[in-house]
Amino acid sequence: MSKKAVSQSELENWVDSVIQGHKTYGVKSKQDKYDYGILENASQLKLDYDVTIRSPKFLFLPAVESIASFNRENAKYESEIENEAFVVFGVHPYDVVAINQMDTIFSQPNRDEHYMTRRNNATIVAVDVQTPSEDVFAGYMGTATVEEGFDVLVTRIGDDAYLIDAATEKGEKLIASLSGANDADDSDIQSRADVWEENKNKLRRHELEVEPSEWPELLKKSVESPLWEEKSEKCFSCGSCNLVCPTCYCFDVQEDVNWDMKSGKRVRTWDGCMLTNFATVAGPHNFRADKAERYRHRYYRKGAYVPEKIDGEIACIGCGRCINACVAKIANPVEVMNRLAEEK
Amino acid sequence: MSKPRVAIFDFACCEGCQLQIVDMEEEIIDLLSVINPVEWREAMSEQSEQFDISIIEGSITRVEDEERLRSIREKSKVLVALGACAVTGGVNKLKNNFDLDDVKQFVYKDDAKMPHLNTSKTKAVCEVVKVDYNVPGCPIDVDEFAYIVRCLAIGKEPDLPTYSVCVECKKKGNICRFEYGELCLGPITLAGCGAKCPTESAACFGCRGWVEDPNVNAAKDVLEEYGLTVDDLKSKMKLFGSQQENTI
Repeated sequence: MSKKAVSQSELENWVDSVIQGHKTYGVKSKQDKYDYGILENASQLKLDYDVTIRSPKFLFLPAVESIASFNRENAKYESEIENEAFVVFGVHPYDVVAINQMDTIFSQPNRDEHYMTRRNNATIVAVDVQTPSEDVFAGYMGTATVEEGFDVLVTRIGDDAYLIDAATEKGEKLIASLSGANDADDSDIQSRADVWEENKNKLRRHELEVEPSEWPELLKKSVESPLWEEKSEKCFSCGSCNLVCPTCYCFDVQEDVNWDMKSGKRVRTWDGCMLTNFATVAGPHNFRADKAERYRHRYYRKGAYVPEKIDGEIACIGCGRCINACVAKIANPVEVMNRLAEEK
Repeated sequence: MSKPRVAIFDFACCEGCQLQIVDMEEEIIDLLSVINPVEWREAMSEQSEQFDISIIEGSITRVEDEERLRSIREKSKVLVALGACAVTGGVNKLKNNFDLDDVKQFVYKDDAKMPHLNTSKTKAVCEVVKVDYNVPGCPIDVDEFAYIVRCLAIGKEPDLPTYSVCVECKKKGNICRFEYGELCLGPITLAGCGAKCPTESAACFGCRGWVEDPNVNAAKDVLEEYGLTVDDLKSKMKLFGSQQENTI
């Protein structure tokens, strides 16, 4: 696979050429923050951003989507699957890890065609972090850098120098317009290795004292911890921590009939285990009616249930979005895990 | 399927929620394909004593209005409260924070004693009669109203949000108003509006009423973090939330 060393202007020309030929998302400014949006030209693309408001999951699992249509009159029921190729520029390594985790979950039996179709249609251009965000702790989670799950990786290796690395066939095609650019040499590759080393230490804004691999065991011992009650007293049950999380994938499904009272659609929307009625079933019985139970569940889901499901992988990539999104300031996984470790 | 006879009645309000329905444009034809309006002051001159569904707009501010509302309830199979005034008492409830005589004097001056201005404490519709469905908001969200109407027409229980506005902000990728030091009532306010105000960079002022367990005590703790005071919160909550249950 090709590795190219390019200048800022070569990079921008490449991005512009991609935009010309593809539906392209990228990280753009949104007031004084950053979010993914449709890219119209390369100058809109921000590669030195700290963190995006939304994680890229919405590109594969939209917040609201119609997944099927029905018509009672002719008993017709059809899945609706969005099937359009697109490119996304600027995904940080920790978010790539989250996407990889979603891929594993959604491709398991009962494979989710809606998610997987979008995912297979995507070409992901990852970008190594240049500016660590205020709450990032990816350095502790092993997600400050990433080795797979992207098609192209862009790393800033100097003031006017980037290394562009195609990791897949898709990526190779995407950088075809760079064929005239210089191939990266050993010193460029070394510069990138230096960036990686540096990022592993730089992306540590909250000091995690418990290795991610120890989370499942620690949680198993902490079911009765007073922490759950204590923290959840301040919880608004607003679900913000769930909804901004790149590894939260829960959704709710509802039907809506059209005005003709015959046809309609089936819609799925993001849901979250911190929301009051998330665990409500027929009856109506709520399995987790208590705030503290819901609060605890979120951590068990991140640090015990998902790892059980997918080979020890923790469902937290250390992006810190939950820490920032929680107005009550009770959603910091680092604080929770450190405190549980202290109690033991 | 025969179309349900629907009557829309207004009490103390600006009638803006009825206007929202009139303003449904193309969809109003669809609406009329599933309901048969028999009384609707904003849109038609006919009146009726017989209807299946009554839609009540406005809050209840006079003793005679309570009687009128009870009589409507008796005739209705289903009663829907429309808009903030009907659902929570809305802005009209601000009045309840003051001495009633002072309020009358301040607003009506010399006319304060006239019988038709004999206002009493403001009540939400549910404080007078049983309400089957709420369409909250100031004004209502027409999409939500349309969804509820379609559900009622087909005999399906509408599935309405029980969560807060934060959910809709997060789905839209809005920047949290607290990040700008603003006091947003989003965390304690019932969703369903699509977070319209925060999407336009304004903090939520709670027009849809509170979620079931608004955790106001936590809200008070949060204020300190952002350099705000309990008085800031109280004054913000008074606009649409005076004397709502579980709060101030």
